[in-house]
Amino acid sequence: MSGEFLMARGLTWTVGKTTIVDNIDLAVERGELIGVIGPNGAGKTTLLRLLAGLLTPTAGEVFLDGGGIAGMESRGRARLVSIMTQDVSQVFPFTVMEILLMGRYPHLGRFQKEGAEDMERARRMLSYVGLTGMEDRGFSGLSGGERQLVLFAKALVQDTDLLLLDEPSSSLDIHHQDRIFSMAQELAREGRAVIASVHNLSVAAQYCSRLVLLEKGRIACSGRPEQVLKAEVLDRVYGIRTMVSPSLATGSLTVTVLPRDKGAAGTKVHLIGGAGSAVNLTRELYRLGCSLTGGIAHEYDSDEKLWRSLGIRCMTVGAFSRITDEQIREAAHFVEQADLTILCSFPIGQGNLGNLSLASLARRLVVLNPGPEEVPRSILSQEGRTLFAEVCAGARILEHDEILEELLTAMDHSAAR
Amino acid sequence: MQVHIVSFPAWFVQFMSLYVPVSRPECKRVDRIRRVPHHDATVKTRHAPAFIVLSLLLAAAVLLGVGIGAVQVSPASLIRFLLVKLGLSALPLPDERDITILLLLRLPRVVAAMLVGSSLATCGVVMQGLFRNPMASPEILGLSAGGSLGAVIAITAGFASGSLLAIPAFTIAGALLSAVCIYLLSSSRGTTSLLYIVIAGMAISSLFSGLTSALLLFSRQYQVSQFIFWTMGGLDGRSWQHILYSAPVLVPGMIALSFFARELNLFTLGEEEAFSLGMRVETAKRILLAIAAVVTGVAIAVSGPIGFVGLLVPHLLRFLVGPDHRALLPASALGGALFLVLCDLLGRALLPPFEIRVGIITAILGSPYLLSLIVRIQRRNAVGAR
Repeated sequence: MSGEFLMARGLTWTVGKTTIVDNIDLAVERGELIGVIGPNGAGKTTLLRLLAGLLTPTAGEVFLDGGGIAGMESRGRARLVSIMTQDVSQVFPFTVMEILLMGRYPHLGRFQKEGAEDMERARRMLSYVGLTGMEDRGFSGLSGGERQLVLFAKALVQDTDLLLLDEPSSSLDIHHQDRIFSMAQELAREGRAVIASVHNLSVAAQYCSRLVLLEKGRIACSGRPEQVLKAEVLDRVYGIRTMVSPSLATGSLTVTVLPRDKGAAGTKVHLIGGAGSAVNLTRELYRLGCSLTGGIAHEYDSDEKLWRSLGIRCMTVGAFSRITDEQIREAAHFVEQADLTILCSFPIGQGNLGNLSLASLARRLVVLNPGPEEVPRSILSQEGRTLFAEVCAGARILEHDEILEELLTAMDHSAAR
Repeated sequence: MQVHIVSFPAWFVQFMSLYVPVSRPECKRVDRIRRVPHHDATVKTRHAPAFIVLSLLLAAAVLLGVGIGAVQVSPASLIRFLLVKLGLSALPLPDERDITILLLLRLPRVVAAMLVGSSLATCGVVMQGLFRNPMASPEILGLSAGGSLGAVIAITAGFASGSLLAIPAFTIAGALLSAVCIYLLSSSRGTTSLLYIVIAGMAISSLFSGLTSALLLFSRQYQVSQFIFWTMGGLDGRSWQHILYSAPVLVPGMIALSFFARELNLFTLGEEEAFSLGMRVETAKRILLAIAAVVTGVAIAVSGPIGFVGLLVPHLLRFLVGPDHRALLPASALGGALFLVLCDLLGRALLPPFEIRVGIITAILGSPYLLSLIVRIQRRNAVGAR
């Protein structure tokens, strides 16, 4: 037997002819917070119930601390592993304290009453989950979220080294969601092992030390969040288009669902941007399903970063360098192929003067008239002003909303055809 | 010398192991969380007033119960009789006639009411906790119907006239049969709905009632009237004989059920939670159902199937001492005894010299309560806080 705290080997659970959990191997050590993710029906809850011993596997075995969980004496097992299920119902008017003290069951002899120590522990766990002073409240009168927190506290009162949490935050607001996962992290750091099934992938990425992605009862992928949360993996398992990007503020991975690809039927639009002036339009047009190209932008510009993260083909030049005629010729095929080219409202200096020349090559050009909240278009040189006037002469000047409206009408027409 | 090694069944050994306290390792973690100041009222002291009040009420009801009837006997005569017999008083003994009425008619009847009332109430608590269902009771889940089928078999086959123990033996068998059916139905997976177990119980009830009626068709007229009389649920004419055979089963049965108070608490969390807290769910369920079936069987052998005690009393006592079964079970035993003694008293006092049988009184009091309970549960479900 290896030194792992929890070992599952060849775990399988079959109901009738349907295999819900299919040959899963899992090794978990103390100190880990494992997130089990996967689409509905992938077998997350069943896996947790198998690990808790609630279900007897059709094949395979679970070992805890080196011993097979199926053969354990029931109260001995309950001192090693606790599970918080999704069932928060209670028909009888128990108080919160009475519910919490039920967690001491495996630690007490039959006629042993809960002592001061047990009371103390229950009270401490209740204040740990942030419900100090609620011990005499009726459990059934609490909100769904509070009941989840109480049952979490009950699992802590049970004082086990393996904690299984089935959707622990399903009815919690973000404050309590953060709280329950921070506590799970803390418990893991104290040397317990915590395994939680999580629906929210960004939450899973933020807190879990390791993720296990289930697909139709099998492990599709497992490892550190950045190894598992990859757009191509998620797209296949969940059958959607996703974007995985690190949050600007915290650096933890954020998973965003993207609209379904509307195919090549989408209008081809080229955005000439810079200084973040194309960010809003890029997002909106992307969501509408336009087939986008971008450029010429400077490297590390926020427009350029967005285009890259969305996989939009674009033309870039080095940061602070000047756009050359060579590069304009290269970018020309974008604007020539585009059904519509939009000149966004960025400040025009010497470095990006070439974008005006590029705009003049467009088949159909729209010049964005900046609204009060957008980047104002300032033009530094006389040369720039002349060039801009020339470009405007051959183009329509529209506001942000007018552009969207026009694109929507165009799409409706093509859909009608 | 030979040493005999007695081999106990495995479930017995495992359950006895629960009696051994577990040594608790030092809680080492999450302990830096600050201690919370507290004031403890333990279960025992908290409910003491309720138990005292219940006991006093029961004592008063017993005195009234032996006093009231076609012939009024003052409760004081009973007390005086007791004091004289115990040598604590030099007063003359009360009237011979009064003593006969008290000792041979009234007292066994009141004691029978107490025994049956507390048994049915205790079994009601057990059923409600076991199936986490406020609508459960021995009668709604079909244990009483099974017992009645047993009784009718005993009566029509002629066993009942042979031995006093025939009816209890058959009611126990019938109630156990129902318990097996309920156990099998409730152990099939994925049945969490509150109504499911009640509807299953009703199905079992009607099946056994149907069989009972079918049997009555083939029986003689005097057997039919004997059975009908029995089913109406009454305590008249109960003698010390009835108590002699029932008490040795009912009292230990109730005590055994009260050993499972903590398990019943865990059952209310749901069977999965109970399992993960280290309870041997299936074993506990089997033992509890078996004891409850035996207790119900014997209780209805004494009195006939008396409805609503098992449903009504646990609810009333939950208001008084809360849902913790460690307090609820003994409180319901007291409350059930009190309730049935009072109902019997009411039946005797309402229309003298006629007696209204106690089963009729409990049904009249209980039915509106059952209806209000269903309405309340419906309303709660509508809000979505199942």
